[in-house]
Amino acid sequence: MDYKTTVGIEIHCELKTNTKMFSHGTNGYGNTANSNITAIDLGYPGTLPILNRGAILLALRAALVLNCEINQQMYFDRKNYFYPDLPKGYQITQARTPIGIHGYVEIEVDGKPKKIGIHDIHIEEDTAKSAHSATSSLLDFNRAGVPLIEIVTEPDMNSPYEAMAYVEKLRELLLYADISDCKMEEGSMRCDVNVSVSKTEKLGTRTEIKNIGSISAIGLAIEKEVEHQIVVYEQGGTIQEETRRFDEKAQKTILMRVKETGNDYRYFPEPDIPMLVLTNEEIESVKKEIPVLPNERRKKYHEKGVSEINSNKLIQNRDLSDFLLTAPEELNLVLASNILLGDTLAYLNKNRKKITNTKLSMKKLTDVVKRLEEGSLTSKILKEIFNDLLETDLSIDEVIKNHGITQVNDTDSLNQVVKKVLLENQASVDDYHAGKERALKYLMGQIMKETKGGANPVLVNKLLIEELTK
Amino acid sequence: MSNYLDLSILELNTLLKEGKVTPLMLVEEAFRRIEKDPEINAFITLNKEEAIKEAKALEGMEVDNVLFGIPVAVKDNILTKDLRTTCASHILDNFIPIYDATVVSKLKEKHLIIIGKTNMDEFAMGSTSRTSYFGAPKNPWNKTKITGGSSGGSAASVASRMVPLALGTDTGGSIRQPASYCGLVGMKPTYGRVSRYGLVAFGSSLDAIGPMSRNVYENALLLNVIEGQDDHDLTSSYHEIEDYTRFIGQDIKGMKVALPNYFMSDVVSPSIKEKIEETVSLLQKLGVTVERVDIDYIENAVTLYQIIAMGEASSNLARFDGVRYGHSVDDAKEVEELYLRTREEGFGDEVKRRIMVGSYLLSGENAKVYYDKAMQIRDDMKKSFEKCFEKYDFIIGPTTCTTAYDLAQDTDDPMRSFLDDVLVIPVNMAGLPGLNLPIGFSREHMPIGLHIIGKAFDEARMYQFASFLEKELNLKLDPKGEE
Repeated sequence: MDYKTTVGIEIHCELKTNTKMFSHGTNGYGNTANSNITAIDLGYPGTLPILNRGAILLALRAALVLNCEINQQMYFDRKNYFYPDLPKGYQITQARTPIGIHGYVEIEVDGKPKKIGIHDIHIEEDTAKSAHSATSSLLDFNRAGVPLIEIVTEPDMNSPYEAMAYVEKLRELLLYADISDCKMEEGSMRCDVNVSVSKTEKLGTRTEIKNIGSISAIGLAIEKEVEHQIVVYEQGGTIQEETRRFDEKAQKTILMRVKETGNDYRYFPEPDIPMLVLTNEEIESVKKEIPVLPNERRKKYHEKGVSEINSNKLIQNRDLSDFLLTAPEELNLVLASNILLGDTLAYLNKNRKKITNTKLSMKKLTDVVKRLEEGSLTSKILKEIFNDLLETDLSIDEVIKNHGITQVNDTDSLNQVVKKVLLENQASVDDYHAGKERALKYLMGQIMKETKGGANPVLVNKLLIEELTK
Repeated sequence: MSNYLDLSILELNTLLKEGKVTPLMLVEEAFRRIEKDPEINAFITLNKEEAIKEAKALEGMEVDNVLFGIPVAVKDNILTKDLRTTCASHILDNFIPIYDATVVSKLKEKHLIIIGKTNMDEFAMGSTSRTSYFGAPKNPWNKTKITGGSSGGSAASVASRMVPLALGTDTGGSIRQPASYCGLVGMKPTYGRVSRYGLVAFGSSLDAIGPMSRNVYENALLLNVIEGQDDHDLTSSYHEIEDYTRFIGQDIKGMKVALPNYFMSDVVSPSIKEKIEETVSLLQKLGVTVERVDIDYIENAVTLYQIIAMGEASSNLARFDGVRYGHSVDDAKEVEELYLRTREEGFGDEVKRRIMVGSYLLSGENAKVYYDKAMQIRDDMKKSFEKCFEKYDFIIGPTTCTTAYDLAQDTDDPMRSFLDDVLVIPVNMAGLPGLNLPIGFSREHMPIGLHIIGKAFDEARMYQFASFLEKELNLKLDPKGEE
């Protein structure tokens, strides 16, 4: 029998709040060291925690997004240990009543859906950040007290791919729900992975790989750790509970420390924070504030015929996806997504802009798509006028005019063009008579091409139908 | 040589209003009294320069409240901005706070003048004030005796009439017990009534700040100033703000009082029991019903206290690690050495003992076996108090088992300090208000106190009851014998 891999993941995410969890200190990344600190953040004698209600509600939102049951009566607990980055000598966390329990995240690997169980999600405070040199250690307390959620999965993943898919999915959810900015490189999302292998149903002894720096590294670290454990077992050895880290250069996990039997954090209820009650009304109102999540958006794209590639691209480009949330029901999302992910995205990237900072309104986009559908606007002309659509308040007609594409309203000359095009495209004429609507659009496009986009589309449409039904 | 500080606060208030006395005269008199009797050792740090400056600044200002310009002493575990706050510990003996505790801000708002920081047991851990790094204070009634503790310096400062008012703190009797030993009125208010922000935490779920004074009325005046909800303390109560003096003077006839049998057991000395019986007779004469009762679980209070207070203390004192403030060894080679040596040098024996016991009690499975169980029994005890209060207005008993004993006695017995507080600790466990009222003297002429326990947030009625009794007893409570 082969070895079965089992993976559980613990993720710490900093919540996107203005202030810290238990003080009015500013929650800001990248500020001058030790500038965002209050007496509370320093664990000053006599200080007591206050509660950041906004952080609680964000954590509640996370618990709801992860399909958790909510602990409506919550306590905080103290986790006691000594470390210079821990100002009070204890961390305020939730050991007994985590805000959410028994949740799940749905992932897809090789086209197969799978639910990854969430054991719990709890609220805690971040520690200070230490920097060590050969002769000294420096402490930056800006991070001390920043609100964190820790999300702990069940040991439900069985491959590096599932683990990566889970982290990817979790990140996407937390980003979309505006809970955290999930920047692994800045440490606002930190990932610890527990890995074990076993030949039997009984789980093997696990090792913990701490603080892996990227999603791809998570996959690699698990792969390497699984290899390492199998080698140990095959050589007749045993795995002991230990903490390891992943060395990306060496492409292997490295032992940090062996875990002592049962870490003794002397947990007890935080006496400075009374029981916190989350009412049904609060939960309902938080539910209402949750933005439309990726799965729901994907479903909609799929229904509207948007390709999977475009669908994923939209999800990755949150701005554009949000922009589409305001689209009227009848909008052709296939064409709209092509426009947004093509010329628009290129423009935005080039100019480092967000869609909301351009002049492209939903009304304008809807107009463009409608004209493309009618054939009264060709993609060639659209390309030509695109920058102006994004940069000016002018209507499509005005933009076309400004580009020297003068509108031909002369019935006689247009009639000649119509006749010429019909002569040259007998097949389409036949198709039209056979009831194929598409043929009309094609012919329309040909006429527009012939007039370099200058023909009055309404007039052309009228003349064309007249000519065809003669 | 003036003796204004022997006058009542109301008398002083009149003189201040009339301009016959200035805050500066009161402050200078307070320092004169302190300096005349250094043996008492009531203060760790004096605030002389600032107090005089403040007193001068008050000159010409309108006397806008009854405590305007009144000197006050503050226990040294309550933070005072720019004024050293040591908790009577070597580990904080160089610690200058950057903010005021909420109660201190409130004192300053009402223009009371802080004279100094009072001596105490180190981190309020003890019942005699002998664990102070700065040496024990002495009892003004007899300098060979303890003041009690942990608010021993506050008690000594008021009893010796150096200041009319002081703030103490009470985790397991630390206001009421020294008030009893020193012949004062001491109130531990309902948990949450007074903000703990800026009080260096010992047992967070038990700690309370309260007033110590020469009489009941003045005690109520100080509680008026320091009480109230505080956004800095989530455990502070939104209970209505009130005038605690408002029932003072009203008759207590018809009130019903419970005297638990446990409070009259054999651990209480005969002379104290005798004094309590006398008081019971007096109460009955005044039309108060007194009945003997049993309150379930109160006999467990000391055990619960040891578990809960020490567990919490072991965590609360973890922050004193030499990294950010306070004493720190400067030649440690690595962080573990910094911790070990800083704490080894910085903390005294009693504090170390309690940190170790507390850590053990929260360790691994012990947290369930001891701490969780203690919290349950605590809850049960609270309920049995509530049950008793369904029938009675107050619960009374002696505050202490003995009167203040010799400074040299029992210094090596770590259990002794808990026995000193056996009668007062149940009140902290239940979060109730408790008050010590002097009711007489022992044969050695040491003060004896009555412990009055009230319903939660019933301080105003307690003051009414205590004040009525105080008037009937009409004791001479100045150790100088001049009153």
